[in-house]
Amino acid sequence: MIRKTRIKRTWLAAAVIASGSLLATALPANAETGVSASEIKLGITLPLTGAASPGYSKIGNAMDAYFKYVNDNGGVYGRKVTLIQKNDEYSPQLSIAKTNELILRDKVFALVGPLGTANFTAVHKSVGLAKRKVPALFLNTGFSGFSNKKSYPSSFMILPSYAMEAKIIAQFLKENHAGKKLGIVYQNDEFGIDGLGAFKAAGTKFDVSIPYTSGTQSAATAQTWVSQLAAGGAQVVVFFGVTSATAPLLAVAAAAKYAPQWILGSVGSDPLTLRALGVPVAVLNGAQTPAGNPSPNDTSDEYVKQFQEINTKYNAGTAFDDYVLQGMNIGLMTVQALRAAGKNLTRKRLVRAMETKGSTFASVAYSPLGFSRTSNVGHTGYYMAVMDANGDRKPFGGSVTLYTTDSGSGPVVKSTFKRPAMPAKGLPSNS
Amino acid sequence: MRTFKFKRSLTLVAVSSLLSITVVSIPTAAQATPVCTTASGVTTCLGATSDTAPYMLMTPANFNGTVYLYSHGYRPNVPVPAGIPGYGGYTVTNTPEPAPGGNAQIIGTLLAKGYAVMGSGFARQGWNADSAIKTNVELIGVFKKQYPKTTKVVAWGNSLGGFITQALAEQYPDLISAAAPLCMASDLTPLMTMAGDALWGIKTFFDPTIKGGGYSAGAAGYAEAMGDLVKVFTVIGAMQAAIAANPTAPAWPATSKVPDALKAVPSRSALVLIALMSGVPMQSAHFDSTSAPAGLPASSALSFQLAINPALAALENLANAAALAVLATHDVEQQAGGAIFDNTATDYSARVSAEQFIWSSALSGNAGVGALLGYLAAVPRVKGNPAAIAKMATLTTHTGKVEVPTILFTGTADPVTTPGNQQAVIDKYAAYSAEKWAAAKKAGDRKRPANNQLALWNFPPEKYSKFTAAGSPDTTVAAATGTNHCNFTVSQYLAIADLLAYAADNGKNMSGGALYTKIRKAGNMTYDRGYSAPKLKYYGE
Repeated sequence: MIRKTRIKRTWLAAAVIASGSLLATALPANAETGVSASEIKLGITLPLTGAASPGYSKIGNAMDAYFKYVNDNGGVYGRKVTLIQKNDEYSPQLSIAKTNELILRDKVFALVGPLGTANFTAVHKSVGLAKRKVPALFLNTGFSGFSNKKSYPSSFMILPSYAMEAKIIAQFLKENHAGKKLGIVYQNDEFGIDGLGAFKAAGTKFDVSIPYTSGTQSAATAQTWVSQLAAGGAQVVVFFGVTSATAPLLAVAAAAKYAPQWILGSVGSDPLTLRALGVPVAVLNGAQTPAGNPSPNDTSDEYVKQFQEINTKYNAGTAFDDYVLQGMNIGLMTVQALRAAGKNLTRKRLVRAMETKGSTFASVAYSPLGFSRTSNVGHTGYYMAVMDANGDRKPFGGSVTLYTTDSGSGPVVKSTFKRPAMPAKGLPSNS
Repeated sequence: MRTFKFKRSLTLVAVSSLLSITVVSIPTAAQATPVCTTASGVTTCLGATSDTAPYMLMTPANFNGTVYLYSHGYRPNVPVPAGIPGYGGYTVTNTPEPAPGGNAQIIGTLLAKGYAVMGSGFARQGWNADSAIKTNVELIGVFKKQYPKTTKVVAWGNSLGGFITQALAEQYPDLISAAAPLCMASDLTPLMTMAGDALWGIKTFFDPTIKGGGYSAGAAGYAEAMGDLVKVFTVIGAMQAAIAANPTAPAWPATSKVPDALKAVPSRSALVLIALMSGVPMQSAHFDSTSAPAGLPASSALSFQLAINPALAALENLANAAALAVLATHDVEQQAGGAIFDNTATDYSARVSAEQFIWSSALSGNAGVGALLGYLAAVPRVKGNPAAIAKMATLTTHTGKVEVPTILFTGTADPVTTPGNQQAVIDKYAAYSAEKWAAAKKAGDRKRPANNQLALWNFPPEKYSKFTAAGSPDTTVAAATGTNHCNFTVSQYLAIADLLAYAADNGKNMSGGALYTKIRKAGNMTYDRGYSAPKLKYYGE
């Protein structure tokens, strides 16, 4: 884990110094880990293989594609952005080891988009990100616990919290499914509990409540869920879990001809991934879901259009879906954060830039960003959408009605927030 | 999830590491004056200090003035009858150990470099820090008298010997030039809290007839402790068999008396909870908490990675922790005069709150951990003997106030002296350094006091679990580096020895490129000032 390069030849050392001084006219000398005159190294841990990888495995490549696009267009103040992806197989213990590799061996400047609630909890605790002052930007998890700025001073969320999501679904249930028997299947850890607590606070009472333990999802376990839901007469079923659990649930329900109104949580509702996992498109038709971003098929959206173009050129052969859209967007936001931190890039300046300027960043998501000196909350809202016969996602009611809220006891409100425009050609020019 | 078979009992594999006693040579008699013989240029002296502790001195003809004083680790103070799994046949011994495990290669290498080595067997086994420190001080005098050209004494020791070594460095900086506490134990109260929590958890979930402490005096107490060892290893064996038969939902042992409702939670999750609440690492000799057998369907593989492998890691490590708990509790209770474990005020929910989400699958989700913690909250707790607990606290403790260079090294998955033991001394030294720096600034001195503590870690590989072609865990392979108790290589020991010699010669620890090169060549030694090991649960997070 420890590497120390010694330059033995004085002429080589002299050459390095000389070239460094030349570059200094364009870029300030920079002694920060992971930053050189020509490069910024970033790292991400995520499941690239295994049961949890469908969908998630695309995020890193999408980020990388966006960074390559930026690099081909001058980089970030002349520095190219390099992303190192590490496969943690969704195992928290492996996330720790891989993050240690990123920080100690690869010497990345920052983590971007690390995925998984248990995984990031383990990493933050065991690797000691706060002690090392390593920034972790745009966590791919909505666990509201990560919004504790005191405990996670150098970490920043991007997704609305699971609590926010549950509050917005609860509001939707009141407005659109009042009087119906409700069921819920949820991942029985901080992910599902975060949501469940918010449902309870919002007064939502489920007639059938089924927890499942992460890692146990399969067709066999889905069979028991469906049996319980059907036996309980659930007419509307909220699913608060990951895609690898959504797929067997919907497939088993379809086979059993059990067809409640599905409300699929944002985490496990990507249509393309579900179809790839064997869920018939007909089953998805009519499923409702909270969504933060536009449909990845909505080419009328300037962000989607630009990202699709980048994907075609820099991520060839990869179907453009919610995960790719999310990855590209994290790339876009990361570049804005790096630019906002200035040419003399340090970890401290990056954190400060997130706190002072992060709320103004352009992002594909419709809701406001909550970053400030006292908040590391990312996006703060959702709109409700419905899937059509093609597996595409359309705004419920025909147009986007954005709801925003917080992770606590604040109200759910309809928002008129207008997101910032996509930077010209998808290339940020902020400072 | 398919079933599997173990080739070997986990208890045999795990616990054997606790008793790594190597007999080098047995002194013929306790001697006030050492009896020396010389062969092949090495003079070996045997004798006994005034407390009757036998010692051994080994000095080369080209003695360079520096002697290594080694303190051996914990040896039970009672014999363990044959037939007890993993431990049977141990007899109490005070054979002197002049180097780790009496390893001939380590001794030979040091002697060849002109260094002398020495070590005592100590007069009493069990937790003997207070008396062992005195023994070592006397032994240093014996050596210097025998070899007046002695210029430096460097101390090193494993486990309990690491505790003794740190204490020597703190209390006798005039006698010690540098010290290396290895896989060290920290203060007795936190250590016994960890052991007691592990044992109480096993008792509570799996076999309430385990006494677990409060042992009677004399032969009756000895019989109770040996009986507990048998019961603990019976539970470990039963759990191993249950997981092998049904990895997803292993049966609860027949000895368990938990309510039927709780048995809806897989018994393997109770193992994980016990490990987490006591602070036992979640990586063990053969289980990395990340791997799955090849060929499993993806969903089963993930389940094995997140739930089954961690349970096996907990099981393997708990075999070590519980063995220590029984033997050391029996020992320390005798010294303190009563029951030393008291969990009447322990909040086990708080103990695991920071980790339960990380190990959510292994704990069977929030419902599983909630049910298990609910049971622990409802069952009667153990009330210790206040006078005995107070007496235990009067035994030697570390202050962290050390002026001579010290080198710390431990495995981050050591199940007996967990890395939190080393971290405790690091934290104490950091507090002491801060105190000194504040005083210096107050006195107008702007020079920050030197950092004389070098902390090294042995991390296990990210993946090391092995499986047979049939997909069963293979526990016949050697324990992974960084796991098990004091599981160091000769190369690592010799690197520590070199670092000690450097520190003694220079009055400060090696640093920079020389340090990196040294530890890189030894292998699996990491210097990372950004790393903090999980604290012992006694201290909280």
